[in-house]
Amino acid sequence: MQQRVKELMGASAALDCDAELMLRVKDGDGASFALLLGKYRASVNHFLYRMVQDQAIAEELAQEVFLRVYRSRETYEPTAKFTTWLYRIATHLALNWLRDQKHERSQQRLDETSECAPVREVQDRAPSVEQKLLHQVNVDEVREAVAALPDKQRAAVLMHKYDEMEYSQIAKVLSCSESAVKSLLFRAYETLRVRLAHMA
Amino acid sequence: MDCPIKTQGNTDWLLDYAAGRLRDERNGLLARHMKTCGDCAGFVRAQQAVWNALDQWDPEAVSMDFDRRLYRSIEEARPSSGLPRMLRRLFRPLQPLWRPVVPLAAACLLIVAGVMLHTPQAVIAPADGTARMEKIEPEQVERTLDDMQMLRELAVTPEQGGNPSKSM
Repeated sequence: MQQRVKELMGASAALDCDAELMLRVKDGDGASFALLLGKYRASVNHFLYRMVQDQAIAEELAQEVFLRVYRSRETYEPTAKFTTWLYRIATHLALNWLRDQKHERSQQRLDETSECAPVREVQDRAPSVEQKLLHQVNVDEVREAVAALPDKQRAAVLMHKYDEMEYSQIAKVLSCSESAVKSLLFRAYETLRVRLAHMA
Repeated sequence: MDCPIKTQGNTDWLLDYAAGRLRDERNGLLARHMKTCGDCAGFVRAQQAVWNALDQWDPEAVSMDFDRRLYRSIEEARPSSGLPRMLRRLFRPLQPLWRPVVPLAAACLLIVAGVMLHTPQAVIAPADGTARMEKIEPEQVERTLDDMQMLRELAVTPEQGGNPSKSM
């Protein structure tokens, strides 16, 4: 099996052990799927949570990601890193969901007034948890700043910051050039630097 | 080195430096450059502040029943009968062998069907035994009738008092 992976990925590419696990899943090895699930369950969920900023939706999308991975096992070929493939599925689902939400929201705005817009309420807490409250306020500001980024910029920032992906890998996930990713990231961080300047 | 901000080149170096991911000699080059370039130093400071702010955003924990729900979805997506799955698993090692054979066999069948349609006698032609029977039967009947006629004539002639050998 190693030989097959090497052939497919080319001599220059390093052997991706995740791809090897996925090839075992392809051969009907359920334990390998469990290993991949255990390895990427959290990171995929966290990425999706930060993309859509709703835990329940993020979990639903993550379920769909792993379901698609499992369903695609028979046609899987390790032409790229496993994580590139995994995050491509996750990003695709998240971007689609965000696009649908925008469409729905624009429809709702026709009927609703601004008073009905969701307002994030900070829970009343005892003074002893002042630090926690301050932290929560900061986190909310970060969340809002990230949420305000264009979808692709947001995906690029999340993969760069939290998943520590290389520019080349982000480019493959987003199906664009490496220089486009650098440009996306530069503009995204520029926006964040302005919005979060007071937190410095 | 050229200033990344002034030249708008290698701006990723600044991002990577702020994230602590810039490696090799590039890290040293940029560090030396920033000692004399306030713009780049300011950029990196602001970027590090963003980096730290983003660090505060911890995601929520994944539900405990995440895997259970996933496996249930997988089970629901599977075909209901266990037999085809068993057969598929049994024949999976042979897949690379039989996959090219299927279209080949289909092509052969088409050719054979085509040949048979263009030679209808081959299909309609009955078995040899039946054909012989059909050919032989009328001849046999005719011969039998002739024989019976002859016997009748032979039987009539002695009664008339004649010599049968003479009449023949």
